[in-house]
Amino acid sequence: MPSFVFESLLWWGLPLVGLPVLIHLINLMRHRRVEWAAMEFLLQSQKRHRKSVLFKQLLLLLLRMAAIAAVVMMLAQPLLRNKWGAIFGGARTHHVVLVDDSFSMSDHWADTSAFEQAKGVVTRLAASAERQDTPQVFTLIRFSRAGQIARGTQPDLLEAPIDAQFPETLEKVLGPLGPSQTAAGPVEALEAVDGLPAKGADEDRIVYLVSDFRAGDWREAASLRKSLERIAAAGSQVHLVNCVDTMHQNLAIAALKPAPGTRAAGVPLLVEVTVQNFGPEDARNVSVALQEDGHARTPVVVEEVPAGKSVTRRFPVMFATAGQHELAAQLESDAVTTDNRRTLVVDVPPAVEVLVIDGDARGSDAFFLTSALSPGGKIASGLSPVIESPRYLRDHPLDRFATIYLLNIDRLDSAEIAALEDFVRQGGGLGIFLGERSRAAFMNDSLYRGGEGLLPLPLAGPEELIVDRLEKAPDIEVGDHPIFAVFAGERNSFLGAVTINRYFAAEKNWLPEPDSSTRIIAQLRNKAPLAVEKQFGEGRVVAFLTKASPLETELGSWNNWARGNPSFVVAMLELQSYLSAPKNADPSRLVGTPLSIPVDTALFTPQVRFMMPRELGGATLTVDATTPVNPKKNEQLEDGEKVAPADTTERIAVLNETDSSGIYEARLVKLDGSEVTERFALNVAPEEGDLRKLDAQALAGELQGVRYEYYEAQDINYNPQQLAGFNLGESLLYLLIAVLLAEQVLAYVCSYHPQPLEARAK
Amino acid sequence: MPDSRRFLHPEAIGRIARLDLRARHVVEGFLAGIHKSPYFGQSIEFLQHRQYAPGDELRHVDWKVWAKQDRFYVKQFEEDTNLRATLVVDVSRSMSYGSGPLNKYEYGATVAASLAYLVLRQQDAVGCVAFDEAVRTKVPQKTKRSHLNSIIQALDASAPREKTDIGAILRTVAEAYPRRGLIILISDLLVDRTGLFKGIKLLRQHGHDVLVFHIMDDDELDFQFSGPTRFDGLEIDEQLACNPRALREGYLESLNAYLDEVRHGCAKNGVQYKLVRTSEPLDGALATFLTDRRQMLRR
Repeated sequence: MPSFVFESLLWWGLPLVGLPVLIHLINLMRHRRVEWAAMEFLLQSQKRHRKSVLFKQLLLLLLRMAAIAAVVMMLAQPLLRNKWGAIFGGARTHHVVLVDDSFSMSDHWADTSAFEQAKGVVTRLAASAERQDTPQVFTLIRFSRAGQIARGTQPDLLEAPIDAQFPETLEKVLGPLGPSQTAAGPVEALEAVDGLPAKGADEDRIVYLVSDFRAGDWREAASLRKSLERIAAAGSQVHLVNCVDTMHQNLAIAALKPAPGTRAAGVPLLVEVTVQNFGPEDARNVSVALQEDGHARTPVVVEEVPAGKSVTRRFPVMFATAGQHELAAQLESDAVTTDNRRTLVVDVPPAVEVLVIDGDARGSDAFFLTSALSPGGKIASGLSPVIESPRYLRDHPLDRFATIYLLNIDRLDSAEIAALEDFVRQGGGLGIFLGERSRAAFMNDSLYRGGEGLLPLPLAGPEELIVDRLEKAPDIEVGDHPIFAVFAGERNSFLGAVTINRYFAAEKNWLPEPDSSTRIIAQLRNKAPLAVEKQFGEGRVVAFLTKASPLETELGSWNNWARGNPSFVVAMLELQSYLSAPKNADPSRLVGTPLSIPVDTALFTPQVRFMMPRELGGATLTVDATTPVNPKKNEQLEDGEKVAPADTTERIAVLNETDSSGIYEARLVKLDGSEVTERFALNVAPEEGDLRKLDAQALAGELQGVRYEYYEAQDINYNPQQLAGFNLGESLLYLLIAVLLAEQVLAYVCSYHPQPLEARAK
Repeated sequence: MPDSRRFLHPEAIGRIARLDLRARHVVEGFLAGIHKSPYFGQSIEFLQHRQYAPGDELRHVDWKVWAKQDRFYVKQFEEDTNLRATLVVDVSRSMSYGSGPLNKYEYGATVAASLAYLVLRQQDAVGCVAFDEAVRTKVPQKTKRSHLNSIIQALDASAPREKTDIGAILRTVAEAYPRRGLIILISDLLVDRTGLFKGIKLLRQHGHDVLVFHIMDDDELDFQFSGPTRFDGLEIDEQLACNPRALREGYLESLNAYLDEVRHGCAKNGVQYKLVRTSEPLDGALATFLTDRRQMLRR
């Protein structure tokens, strides 16, 4: 027996089937009375057609009753189930509910929030499914968990049978849930559906996507469309449920990061804070509260943040001591509070070590360079130059250096070059100054290597810059580059006083490839390159085609830049900042990204104790470090952590529970019992705070060709019974049309339709 | 005082007056007055002399001409022949049906009164018989204009009653009006066809010309009823509750068969037959009939 979606309709609708009979009886009682003269012909007609008329009238009456019954049944929506339902579509209904718990769902208004709306939808769906008399199962997947499901983690509910106890079970699961701090989108959630047990032939599957449908989530519309099409093609129904109706005002701390520069104890450091306005209105006098190592600082006030724009402000900090220091920026509360706070952990070493390799044992180039980088006295640059010979490259690890300078090098062996290339490839900075010892052949063969090596350009040989006695143009022309940005706009730049006598010319007709990272950042008066940069792996290389030292050589003095010209010191400090920037760039760790800590078991016990952010109560979790699955030396993990070499003592401790933003601590215990603490700041993805929405129409545009149904959460009151089993509503519609057509045809045959006057009797 | 306008309908009479009535009746030779009669006989108006021929009646010899010329001439006079029309009007209950402004009885009576007025204007004689099961009223044939009132009174007094028995009626008419004339039968003819044709045949045998106005209502001819209806027989004690649309086709079949039978029966007996709808203009029906009548006389 079929059941009905709207059974109550059946109770008051089915009696209406008797309506044609009632109308017939009423008509019999209230028929018109006519005193008729030509009874003779009427009686003759009645005698002749009595049976056929009665038959047709009875048939017509039945058709009209059938039409009403079809309308009532269609509205009541009968469902075929069990063995009959299985023939048409399935007897078991599997509700797969994908709930968006990204932090944009924390968008709150009045006394509710988007996530509360979503929970309400889930509860109502379950309640409706519970009333079914066919087997119903329920799967609940949160967006933030979808990725873990792909790695084998169970969803919150997996094919949980919906029975009398299910509401209690659901409440236990749903009650404690709140929006996560992740930016999880629908793509992974939809892909997680593919990982569920395959849909059986006797199963109806309905996939509900309960979300806020932010425009940002649908940037990958093509991928989403494919996922939805795949789900629909597998025979599942797709229901999209929107939990947010309007866009609210939201500000976010989009970035908190150190500006380029040397980070060292006692050295001032500029920190950039970016405020993004994701709301529809301009924000004025936005106050950003700051904390430095837990202590409040003077807030930064941004006068205006236009709607949809961001504003960046810098503020100086100076950490007196070496070690890890914390910074936090906080906005006032708004619709989405999760993105109002951002934290930063700054590693502050006592000093930044710089390796200076001078090809000349006398070290005149190294002298001038190190004097510029570390002037000494009261001026603290935070840099600690180490002057070594080229052999140092081969014999010592280079990781501790931020930058390496090659000065007046005549040659390097292959091991030294390989070590240097590894260093730069992993983010180190390399500064090159040439000189009288430099040989173009070696430079081109070993360091340039047809563009594959460290040197940004092929060299021709040393040349003299012809003195221009007439024009008095400066010898150095600098471009728009961070190294020389400090000289921009200076009318009497010290750069103008620099005289270049000799330089290494580039090979004839050489020009940087347009699509390469090689760029001329300074040139001579004669347009020959003076400084050329190149990206090599993660690191940067800047080559100056002249000498660092202004002293006389056998070829004469190459330049006078370092001789009492302050611009040399400034340029070299800027060069140092520029070259060390990749190593200083803090990997931006996002909430939800596993935290991987390398553990050398030769030094530490394999147990790593992680402390959760203080906002979560400072809970701890101990993780055993394990051998990397596929260790490769210097391999980069997705999250930016470096995997330990594959020897017997290197392990990795991974913390997966990183769903909250804040500062995490990893405490490693040395074998002697002392502890080493490393801190990491995990922040939310700021773009998730973009509350722009896709309305139903825009969504339809993105999902063209996909069969889905769209609902608003507050309006969702549909009864999923209509989706359980095979709904005969549509079939009944066709039946109704057929019955009505038959009724009209029969009524016409019975002459119940008005007819044009026939030719009058003659 | 009966409302003569009820039957005369001045507008209809006026339109008939414009027709060339005289032209039609010269051919017929029935009308006196301004119409020249094709027949000769004793009358007032002298027409001409003709030489005596053996066999002529001596009383027609003009002795004054014989005295003057010694020749026998016979005097010939123009004869004023009167049209003796008898209106036989059905006033049975079946005539009481009507869906328009006039029911069949009112329509038939109006036709009868109009014809009587027309005939009396020509100084011809007209009489009237109203009948149902039997002759209810009989008005003798007279030519006086004031006679119209008698006819109208007779029609007015004869409200529909009883059941029609046309055969007996026509026999009575034939016996009551032995002198040949024009019998105008105005009826819905919802009667026994055998009796009807026997009566017509008898009238024809008595030398009467017979004109039949078959008065039918639109409803009876088209049967455009809809919705549940109960039909109560006016002259048949039967009732029928039905959906008329369902029976319409069969009804029209029977009706057309009946009309064909009447039409053929009339034609067979040399009777001019005209089916008249009560919705048709009254004057139009009369004019059509009179035109048809003239064509018949020409033949």
